[in-house]
Amino acid sequence: MSDFVMIIQEMLDTIGIDFRMDIVIDYLPFFLKGTLITIAVSAAGVIMGMILGLLVGMGKVAKLWIIRFPFICYINFFRGTPLLVQLFLIHFAVMPLILSETNTIASLVVTLSLNSAAYVAEIFRAGIKSIDKGQAEAAHSLGMNKIQVMRYVVLPQAFKRMIPPLGNEFIVLLKDSSLGAIIAAPELLYWGRAATGQYYRVWEPYLTVALIYLLLTLTLTYLLNYVERRLDTE
Amino acid sequence: MISVKNLKKSFGSLEVLKDITIDILPQEVVVVIGPSGSGKSTFLRCLNLIESITDGQVLIEDVNITDKQTDINKIRTEVGMVFQQFNLFPHKTVLENITLPMITVRKWKRNAAESKALTLLEKVGLSDKADVYPDSLSGGQKQRVAIARALGMEPKVMLFDEPTSALDPEMVGEVLEVMKQLAQEGMTMVVVTHEMGFAKEVGDRVVFMDEGYVVEENKPAELFGNPQHERTQAFLSKIL
Repeated sequence: MSDFVMIIQEMLDTIGIDFRMDIVIDYLPFFLKGTLITIAVSAAGVIMGMILGLLVGMGKVAKLWIIRFPFICYINFFRGTPLLVQLFLIHFAVMPLILSETNTIASLVVTLSLNSAAYVAEIFRAGIKSIDKGQAEAAHSLGMNKIQVMRYVVLPQAFKRMIPPLGNEFIVLLKDSSLGAIIAAPELLYWGRAATGQYYRVWEPYLTVALIYLLLTLTLTYLLNYVERRLDTE
Repeated sequence: MISVKNLKKSFGSLEVLKDITIDILPQEVVVVIGPSGSGKSTFLRCLNLIESITDGQVLIEDVNITDKQTDINKIRTEVGMVFQQFNLFPHKTVLENITLPMITVRKWKRNAAESKALTLLEKVGLSDKADVYPDSLSGGQKQRVAIARALGMEPKVMLFDEPTSALDPEMVGEVLEVMKQLAQEGMTMVVVTHEMGFAKEVGDRVVFMDEGYVVEENKPAELFGNPQHERTQAFLSKIL
């Protein structure tokens, strides 16, 4: 143990707090590994959720009722049922149909992506709808076709308005990835539970895990605020 | 230039344009007036198909714009439009607002588009505003940029949909001045407005619309001085 940790340990002991820094230190490599997996799973979930969400969002605003209907069902299902239930369904029922071996990380990523897509779809739809109709009319009156109007006029403005709700969605997704612990996907909380099992201690692992999650979400918040400021036209 | 035959437009069961037939000649400035809800804005918006047409025909330089074979985007580059709410693109600078359609639609090179845009900004008196965002402009300046943006496509006709109605009174003059200059240069213009002074001074013909019909049309002096129709008289007595 480094001097710094020893000093903290002594302080804790002096004021009578029963907290074993050595457990945190012993498990640090596992927590780091778990953190990386949490980040990777969340990033994969965000990216796939965005792509899927864009498609679902476009499907939901289709003119034909028959095309719109399945997308509405999709959104209602994933927003209206608990994420944990979705995770169980996908991990224990759906994935075995596709993969021959169980892969907890794949199950977690698929569940997070599908779930997040339902929310992202609504964010996209609301963002595009929030842009004044006059913008598209002006662009059309200048001879732009539908794709150009979307690409150069509507989407850039809509995207800026989508950043705050998308940011919230990313943060929710990152925190929700901790449900992976229940199907033993080796993300951050999984290692917290492992440490608890090994040492029969609860404070040290769970508090450490909580602080790492906090660090991740605060960093994400800061990054999103930065992007938002950069896109300001003032 | 523009030939409208038996144009009809309904929103659901609401008939907004009942039967409009009118010809607009090259280099003519036609001012459309009428009470609110008379369909004059809708009429203007049908001329470039921003509003779909329920029935009838609109020919622009002998091309039927409702024909499925017609490339409406190409027609729209020939028909510039200026809106009451300006509709500048807030995420683009003034210069980019003007060059965006030139580059994306006309496929001009950026340099050529920018120098053309700067010429247009000079024309509307806003050379110093090229690099600011629209949010920092006054209403009158925004509308002048919007006019420059429409002119960038080198249209043959310009449609003005109540271009000064959203402006503070002291800014109306600067926009009308630009429009007047445009008229003097021989631009064909269709202007929906409540500015009767502009109609009298610049208009070649004034069209009075009410309840989806063209009630009366004439030279400005005739229509304002000696309105023939009862409804025209009633409308003019209220506003003059």
